[in-house]
Amino acid sequence: MKRTLRWNLALLAVLVSLATLILLPFWFVLTGSIKEPAEIIGREPTMFPQSFTLQHYAKLISASDYPVYMMNSMIVATASTVITLLLAIPAGYAFFRMSFAGRETLYRAILLAYAFPSIVILIPLFGIFAKLGLLDSRLALVLVNVAFALPFAIWMLRSFFASIPIEIEEAARLDGGAPLTVLRRIMIPLVAPGIAAVAVFTFITSWTEYVFASVMILSDAKRPMPVGFSGIIGQYQIDWGLLLAGASLSLLPVVILFAFVGRWFVAGLTEGAVK
Amino acid sequence: MKIPKHILPFAFIGPAMLFLAAMLLWPLAQAIILSLQSVRSVGTTGDWVGLSNYREVLIDPVFWGSAWLSLIWVLANAVLQTLLALVAALALNQSFPGVRIARTWIVLTWIVPTVVVVMIWRWLFSTSGGIVNPLLMLSGVTDAPVGFFANPTIAFATLVFINSWRWFPFITLMMLAGLTRIPRDLYEAASIDGAGPWKRFSRITWPLLAPTLGVLLVIGTLLSFNVFDIIWLLTAGGPADSTRTLPVLIYETAFKSYRMSEAAAVAVLATVFLMGFALLATRWLARPPEAR
Amino acid sequence: MGDVTLSGISKSFGNVQVIPGLDLSIHAGEFVVFVGPSGCGKSTLLRMIAGLEEPASGTIEIAGRDVTQAEPADRQLAMVFQTYALYPHMNVAQNMEFGLEMAKMPKAERLKAVKSAAEILQITELMDRKPRELSGGQRQRVAIGRAIVRNPALFLFDEPLSNLDAELRVQMRLEIARLHSELSATMIYVTHDQTEAMTMADRIVVLRKGVIEQVGRPRELYTNPDNLFVAGFIGSPRMNLLRGTVTGRAASGAALVDVPQLSLSQLEVPLRVADSKISGQVTLGLRPEDFTEPASGGLVVTLHARVIEDLGGSAYIYSSTGREDAIVAEISRRVLPKVGDFLDLGIRGRDCFLFGADGDRL
Repeated sequence: MKRTLRWNLALLAVLVSLATLILLPFWFVLTGSIKEPAEIIGREPTMFPQSFTLQHYAKLISASDYPVYMMNSMIVATASTVITLLLAIPAGYAFFRMSFAGRETLYRAILLAYAFPSIVILIPLFGIFAKLGLLDSRLALVLVNVAFALPFAIWMLRSFFASIPIEIEEAARLDGGAPLTVLRRIMIPLVAPGIAAVAVFTFITSWTEYVFASVMILSDAKRPMPVGFSGIIGQYQIDWGLLLAGASLSLLPVVILFAFVGRWFVAGLTEGAVK
Repeated sequence: MKIPKHILPFAFIGPAMLFLAAMLLWPLAQAIILSLQSVRSVGTTGDWVGLSNYREVLIDPVFWGSAWLSLIWVLANAVLQTLLALVAALALNQSFPGVRIARTWIVLTWIVPTVVVVMIWRWLFSTSGGIVNPLLMLSGVTDAPVGFFANPTIAFATLVFINSWRWFPFITLMMLAGLTRIPRDLYEAASIDGAGPWKRFSRITWPLLAPTLGVLLVIGTLLSFNVFDIIWLLTAGGPADSTRTLPVLIYETAFKSYRMSEAAAVAVLATVFLMGFALLATRWLARPPEAR
Repeated sequence: MGDVTLSGISKSFGNVQVIPGLDLSIHAGEFVVFVGPSGCGKSTLLRMIAGLEEPASGTIEIAGRDVTQAEPADRQLAMVFQTYALYPHMNVAQNMEFGLEMAKMPKAERLKAVKSAAEILQITELMDRKPRELSGGQRQRVAIGRAIVRNPALFLFDEPLSNLDAELRVQMRLEIARLHSELSATMIYVTHDQTEAMTMADRIVVLRKGVIEQVGRPRELYTNPDNLFVAGFIGSPRMNLLRGTVTGRAASGAALVDVPQLSLSQLEVPLRVADSKISGQVTLGLRPEDFTEPASGGLVVTLHARVIEDLGGSAYIYSSTGREDAIVAEISRRVLPKVGDFLDLGIRGRDCFLFGADGDRL
């Protein structure tokens, strides 16, 4: 549909505003991370860096456990994603395709899991993990991440399964596939975008998780990036350069990941049904 | 391995359900038990005190203050995020060069870890450095740096802004999903019928998007309620407790004041509020179309 | 081998009973067509035979074996779906191989079976393509190929041609018929198109609201319908159904009928059972193609040609513009009347059918 000039201008204005709102802060962060400290705290903020230095990055990498933190986050996020998928795919399929007693109630109950304040679980979970000797372990974080991602994952996958024409499943039944085989060979390949979306969602929310990590992890060696990072920043009093370098580095993995799989994530969200 | 047909569904959902029960239901039960005791710090035990924790909490103005702050927090976030998301989704629903890239990268602020969001804005809004204050002073809007985190009301608004900045793209995507589901021919038919863009929006887009919006509002509310890290890392509930929402109160009471059981009671009460809201909201959303 | 027996089959969806109770025997090697209007239960019946739905009561036997509780894969049958249901992420060869792989056939045998099926259907050049790269007709062939490859005793077709354009449909009809004679397997074919039924079937099963109205060879159904519904359903254009009154009997036992809509009286129409007691209101059926030249004997009627549809070789004359009570006649004259003309046509009583108040054939 053709747009009038007026509407084109309005659209342009909106898009420019959005881009500014979202990108400008990052621009300042990235450029700031390579500025000399003097320029960073100067009275006139500069759009384009007038100086160049890598000292902040050097300080960050050498003077702290930053690499360790990143590695921990990678491990925890990857493990969380894999386990979530393993649990959510069969469940999403079953909730959609199979009929059994209490299906609808159970399904709604799952979604109600998001009606919890996560804080309410923090306290008892701390105690339980302490008793199980799981404190200060990455496994604990993985368990927490999976628990928070599962309801959304099941919900998304269910609606993806729902979008597959039922005749394809019937053809597979006629072809003699056992339910697990049908799931593996036919259904899963067909919901690949949904799986990608769920994987990206889980990875990102695991990567970002702060509260539980800060409470459950006690030693530096196991600490994931968000907690470690805020620790570093707190340590060095208002070293903006260091902070900006840290922020920039923390962005890197997710942005790189997203550059590859972002397409599918968006496709997955926008094509998957909203209830 | 042949699993009998009637057991199969449970084999499929079993692992996930058991996991959720263990990780969510069990701790919730423990939290309730905890709230009926008098545990002070983690790992210690306490006596049974029945409902006295609840009685104390319910008459404590601090609790109601936090509850009130949580309410405002949720409402403010809902309004700001919905507005931003709606505008963004409508814009991204158009076709223009680069629309696919735009749709992919709109969620940039959401994929960034919360800590990083916190750091970015702490720097941008800082009173000794940063970008916003220098810009404001340069352009003559203010003479002195604005204490974005130091002034009670401004701090609250700043946090709402930051939280919305972070979350609205996610809501945008979900809204976009709802928008793309509206068939294009409806718009074309309407435009042949002489409807201009505003009419098309109010008569086609809005009614067809309304159910999606409803769901998103509910989900958004639940999510905003739970926000803890942004608030804690930027203001720790301050200044002067002006940003101490319920999650912050719970954390403080449990880990700073060492009153575990009391914190558990507050947490359980918060859960009740939230659950109640969720149930009412889903019932209201599920009402038959004639009632809308 | 390949015969199918349905006994006492009933089916309900929720509170709605779609099939009250049905018996049917299909002989091995037959091509049977289930035909009827939407909602008559033909697809449901097919799906119950396939095992995709369970009957509420009754038994299904295939090749002498009770398969009522058996899984679809265990019933020795193959099905071709209306939407083809090809696996989008596999190419043609893999689509056809999948069922054999599930049956644990060794790879070498699988490839042989797929190859020979592809040759029968002439799709060998398409083996590497994915379904989305194929045209509708090609996809249909692959779907049929997937069915053939399993060498089943029974083929089920669920409206396979409805998504194809007209010309392709005619072509595929011939292909399927050819397939049937080559493979000599039992085939059950569901369609709402009575032309497909007439041209392809050994026997036709006409269904309405879950009840079998008539079973028989196409010619049987055409020349000797059991009731009003079958008479009106089979044959295109639709049989003319006119109000009539029986005024008496002829010496031959035929009924004497007055047909006011044609200004006819005393039309002699033979009955199935001569001398049976009937009187009063009846429905008279006459096919459009049974109107003759006035000179060829029988009574003469005059039709007011309100609408003329010229198909080239023949033409349809409609005696009124409304579809409901139009009397349609088919004429094959080279010289057509003009709209508004009055046309004289002949009718022979022995070409007519009589139906009672309950729709049954008299």
